[in-house]
Amino acid sequence: MKQGLYNKFYNYLTDRFEQKQSTVLPFESESLTGKRNHAFSVFKELGFPTRKNEEWKFTSLASALKDDLQWTIDHSHSVTNTNKIDNLEASHIVLVNGKYAPELSDALPEGISFYETSAVLAEPRFAEKIASIATEQDSSMLALNTAFFTEISVLHVAKNALVETPVHVSHVFTVNVHPEFIPYRMLIIAEQHSEATVIETYHSESVVHPLFISYVSEQDVHESAILHTHMINTLCENTYFVQHREVLQARDSVVNNSNISLSEVSLLRNDLNFQLQGTGTETNLLGAYILTDSQHVDNHTLVDHQSPHCHTNEVYKGVLLDSSHAVFNGKVFVRQDAQKTRAFQQNNNLLLSDNATVNSKPQLEIFADDVKCSHGSTIGQMNDEALFYLQARGIGKDLAKKMIMQSFIFEVLERLTIPALQDYTSELLFKKLQSENLTVA
Amino acid sequence: MLNINNLHSSIEGKEILKGINLKVNAGEIHAIMGPNGSGKSTLASVLAGKEEYEVGEGEVLLDGKDLLDMAPEDRAREGLFLAFQYPIEIPGVSNINFLKTALSEIRAYRGLPELTSKEFLTLLKDKQELVELKSSLVNRSLNEGFSGGEKKRNEILQLAMLDPKLAILDETDSGLDIDALRIVASGVNKLRNENNAFVIITHYQRLLEYIVPDFVHILYDGRIIKSGTKELALELEEKGYDWITQHETGIV
Repeated sequence: MKQGLYNKFYNYLTDRFEQKQSTVLPFESESLTGKRNHAFSVFKELGFPTRKNEEWKFTSLASALKDDLQWTIDHSHSVTNTNKIDNLEASHIVLVNGKYAPELSDALPEGISFYETSAVLAEPRFAEKIASIATEQDSSMLALNTAFFTEISVLHVAKNALVETPVHVSHVFTVNVHPEFIPYRMLIIAEQHSEATVIETYHSESVVHPLFISYVSEQDVHESAILHTHMINTLCENTYFVQHREVLQARDSVVNNSNISLSEVSLLRNDLNFQLQGTGTETNLLGAYILTDSQHVDNHTLVDHQSPHCHTNEVYKGVLLDSSHAVFNGKVFVRQDAQKTRAFQQNNNLLLSDNATVNSKPQLEIFADDVKCSHGSTIGQMNDEALFYLQARGIGKDLAKKMIMQSFIFEVLERLTIPALQDYTSELLFKKLQSENLTVA
Repeated sequence: MLNINNLHSSIEGKEILKGINLKVNAGEIHAIMGPNGSGKSTLASVLAGKEEYEVGEGEVLLDGKDLLDMAPEDRAREGLFLAFQYPIEIPGVSNINFLKTALSEIRAYRGLPELTSKEFLTLLKDKQELVELKSSLVNRSLNEGFSGGEKKRNEILQLAMLDPKLAILDETDSGLDIDALRIVASGVNKLRNENNAFVIITHYQRLLEYIVPDFVHILYDGRIIKSGTKELALELEEKGYDWITQHETGIV
C-alpha cells in the first residue's frame, strides 16, 4: 500500500503490529484478538484515507499525520484540571489520555456502572460486544482504532434504571513528550426501559506536541431505553481528533445527541452513525460549531432508517471565520421497510470570511414510499439588515456582528435541556467570540 | 437641532434625493409627506447611515456635528433614532438584552455609567407601560413572531428607552390598526418635550390627527416642494397627491 505523505506513520504502525509489540492487551480474548487481526488487515489494505476517498473528499489528514507520531502513550502525568462543569450535578469519570483515572473519578449512582479496561476484558458479555456494533467494512479509520486501541471503558445502564444524575465523562489529554497517537474506545449499553444522561467533554491541558486521537464509541440502546448524550469539545490547537460513533437503536428507544465544538481543535472529524433497527425510535441530533484561524471540522452523520415509524430530527449550525473549513455530510437512508418514517435535517452556516470554506452535503436516499423527509442546507452571510438595525440603536459594528453570531449558535445551545450545560456552552461561546461581557439571550 | 442642507443621495447610480433642505428645532414635530417613490424612506435611511445610499453632496448637522461622516452607531449615540418601517426580526437575541446592550453602548459613548440591573428594569417597566407592551414580548427574541402592531410598538419602546434628541418615525403608521395607532401616538405625545424633536414620515394624514405636527413638508421627486403648517396635511388629504403633481408640473 502506497501512502504518499503518510508513508512514514503507516509503515511505523504496520511494523509495530506485525512485530506483535503490545497490540494484545492482558486478558484479551481470542475472539477480540481475531477482530483486531481482521481490522489490521483492513487498515493495511486501505491505509489512511486520502481525498480520493469520497467520504474524505473535503478533509485531509495531512496536517494530522505529518509529524513523527508515536504509539507509546504516556500515562505518567497527572492532571490538575479535570474540566468539571460549574453547577452541574453529575458523577464524574475522568479519562486521562484515554485511561481511567480512579483517583479523580466519582462513584456512580445506582443503576449505572463503569468498567475500565481490565474489568471490561474480564467480562465476556462486554468483551464480545467490542467491535461488534461498529464493524469495519470499508472504514480504515475505524479499523485503525480496532487494531490498535489500548484502553476500553464501558458504561452500563441497568434494566429499568432511571438514572437522574448525569454521568460526566471528562476526556482529558495532557502533556506529551513527543507527538502521540492515542487510540481508545468506549462502549455504552443502555438496557431495556432505562434512562440515563452521558455528557462527554474533550479537554486538553499543557499539550505541547501534536496529538492524534482516535476515539471509537459504540452504543447499544435496547428496547424502550432513553439515552441522552452530549459531546462538548474544548480541545486546544495541535490536537487532531477523529471519532467514530456507532449507535444501535432497538424498538421504541430514544437517543438524543448534541455535538458542540467551540474549541481551538485543529482538526475534528466525527462519523456519527445511527442504525434504527427497531420500530418507533426517535433520534434527535444537534450540532454547533464556530471555527476560527485554520480550524477544520468535519461532521458526517448517518441515520439509517431500517424499520417503520422512526423519527429523526437533525439541526447543525456553524459559523466560519478566518481561513477555517467546515464539512457537513448528513446521510439519511430510508430502507424499503421503513414506512412512516419522519426525518428532518437542517444545516445552516454563516460564512463570514472570504478565505473560509463550507462543504455542506445533505444526502437523502429513500426507498420507502410513505415517508415524510426534508432537508435544508444554507450557507449565508451576515445579514446586513440585522446588522444595520443593531447599529442604528447605537451598538458598535463589531459588537453587533458578535451578537448576530452568538444568536445564530444560541439557537442550538438553548435546546440543551440541562441548564448548567446551557450556561457552560454559552460561556464557551462567549470565550470563542471574545464577547465575555455580552449577554444576548 | 437638525440642519439638512442641499442633501443629494443616490442608490446604484440613480439619484433619489435631489437637494433636501430642512431645519428642525428642539421641541418641534415635523411631518414629511409624499407619494410613493418620492424619497421619504430614502431620506430616513440616509440620515440613519445605511451604507447602500451614496451621498453626493450636502450636509446633515445634528447640533452642529456633521452626521454624514459618522458610522450608524455613532449617529445613534449622538442622539438620532430611526423607528424602522420594517423592524428586523433577530431570533436568538432577546429583546431585553438588546435594549440593555444598546443603552449601555450609548451611555458609555456619552461617558455615563452603566445602569444597574435594578435601574434598568425600573426604567424598562416604566417605558413598557407607555406603549402597553406585554412583558412576555420584552423577554422574547427581538421582534421574532411579533405582529405588525407589536413590532411598531416595540420600536416606540426602544425610542422611549434610548431617549434620543431627534427621532425619525418612518411610516410607523403603516399597517397599524386604530388601537395600535392610538397607543403609538400617545407614546410619542408623552415622550415629546422642549429638548427633543420628531420627524414623522408618513403617506397618510391619519397619524397626524393623533400626533399634531408643527410643520408639514411635502416631498416629491427628491425635493421638498411645499412646506406649511398642519393645515397643509389636511389640504393634501382633501385634494390628493395629484394636486401636488400638477402643482409641481406647474412650477416646472
